Amino acid sequence: MNAPLEKRNRQTLLEKRKRQMRRATAIARTLVGVELALVALPLLVIVVWAFTDAWPWPDLWPQAFSARGIEQALSGRQNMGWDTLALSIGIAAACAVLTTAVAALACRALCHFQWRGRDVFQFATILPFIIPSTVFAMGIQVVFLQIGLARTVPGVILAHSIVALPYAIILMTDITRAAGTHREEAARSLGAGPWQMLRHVTIPQLLPGIVSSLSMCYIMSFSQYFLTLLVGGGRVQTFVLVLFPYLSGGDRTIACAYSLVFLVVTFAVFLIFELLLRRFGAREEGSLYG
Amino acid sequence: MQLALENIDLRLGGKDILRDVSFAVDDGRFVSVLGESGAGKSTTLKVIAGLLPQDSGRVLFDGTCVDDVPTHKRNTAIVFQDIRLFPNMDVRQNVAFPLKMRKVPRAERLATADRMLAAVQLEGFGNRRTYELSGGQQQRVAVARALAAKPDALLLDEPFSGLDEQLRAEMRQLVSRLHAEFGMTSLMVTHDADEALTMSDRIIYMSDGRVVQEGTPADLLLRPASDVVRAAFNDASSIEGRVEGGIFMSGKLCVSLADLAAYDETRAGDAALVGARANAPVEQVAPAIPDGPAVLVRVPDRTPFVHAL
Repeated sequence: MNAPLEKRNRQTLLEKRKRQMRRATAIARTLVGVELALVALPLLVIVVWAFTDAWPWPDLWPQAFSARGIEQALSGRQNMGWDTLALSIGIAAACAVLTTAVAALACRALCHFQWRGRDVFQFATILPFIIPSTVFAMGIQVVFLQIGLARTVPGVILAHSIVALPYAIILMTDITRAAGTHREEAARSLGAGPWQMLRHVTIPQLLPGIVSSLSMCYIMSFSQYFLTLLVGGGRVQTFVLVLFPYLSGGDRTIACAYSLVFLVVTFAVFLIFELLLRRFGAREEGSLYG
Repeated sequence: MQLALENIDLRLGGKDILRDVSFAVDDGRFVSVLGESGAGKSTTLKVIAGLLPQDSGRVLFDGTCVDDVPTHKRNTAIVFQDIRLFPNMDVRQNVAFPLKMRKVPRAERLATADRMLAAVQLEGFGNRRTYELSGGQQQRVAVARALAAKPDALLLDEPFSGLDEQLRAEMRQLVSRLHAEFGMTSLMVTHDADEALTMSDRIIYMSDGRVVQEGTPADLLLRPASDVVRAAFNDASSIEGRVEGGIFMSGKLCVSLADLAAYDETRAGDAALVGARANAPVEQVAPAIPDGPAVLVRVPDRTPFVHAL
């Protein structure tokens, strides 16, 4: 009498549990869909706007398309074309390399050595987070004017590096600590000199962190507006400086064309990072080695 | 190469790690540094390799002071307990690493690497990634890598501690065999008294940063200098006697050294300590022990051995 009842109860329970799981999956999928839409839709709008000639309100679709925006973005007229792009990429790449190198050394000092004042130094590395970048820009401009770095490309690179440094240090700290000095000791005992150790053991170990840091610093420098404007004094014209007036001035077609170029260039640079990683064998079958 | 430490002192973080440590390892010998953890054994190896500079005292290689020689020029090689292979290289590149550092041409160093892999019974593993290997295989790669460096002194820092018991037994045999084959001066740090007894020509017992006793396995076993040394060898037992013409004799007990070498404790069961079977295959050549006083040592689960006094 009781047995069939129990069985039925159990089945209802199981079905209930399955329904719950299906619902959870549906919710998860919806959330992922919303997230994708939030990222993809604005990008799509930028792409459409970049090729739009006229899009009067309240139309849902542009009335006419043209390549005017892209042409201007790449034309080289008024210092806005390939030269600007090359300068921006150069500054961002130099900033990425400089910052990552400094961060790698700082992390090494913080993680592998005991010394007086280490905690103070560690705190100092994240100070640029705490100081608002406008305040920092005002201060550094005065200093750079005094030492002759204002309105120069090296000055801009240095200013960008200072802002990017805390991010680079945070990205590199954990991997530096995890890598430790054990394998370096092994390498030295097996006959590796300091440079050989750096080349064959230390850098490969830190490579995942180095690449994250390079990417982060690159994008921070490439998209830096206010600091570049102030330190560069209008003489160092980066891509963002050229883009900004169009964003605030209302020519959306040209602004979006520049944004599109910005996106494509950034993706291209990250793709190059990825290819270099594969080239050096640091990444295999899609995952970084242990 | 003869290796010697003279009055080494070392303080780290306000603590005395090594106090007046002196000993010598003769050319081609296999010597163990035995002691509890924290006795300063691994630190001693690091001082020899130059990874840690001592506060005072001298490190001598063949009578020459090497205190000014940086680690990578001392031509020692360390096998670490935690293995420390390079994950960005495959197995062959790992073994060839010390040769690459010495600028040996590529073809030659890869050929040497393959020879070393064969010596540790890992033929054909050259193209594997290190993380695809088991713990025991990884440690054998580490041994091959150290051997490829053709070190004047091979330093082994608890090389078997991370392995399970059966693997440890295999690795002990392998390392003993490789030492006999390559003949380099070897210094092994261990906290396993039986391991030190069965593998070494001499044992250095360290405690609390000092050398407590140094001597042959039989010396430490029969005449421990202090209670700590006696306690370390609790499980081992020994019989004093004489060796004459390849036979160990003590009273009515007679054991052929050749039989003893072929004796396999794991197959023997409890009954036969000395009942070396006539049919047992002689896989190993019996160690040449000169006639005279000797001691027969039995360590649980290991092949018993005879040591000259």
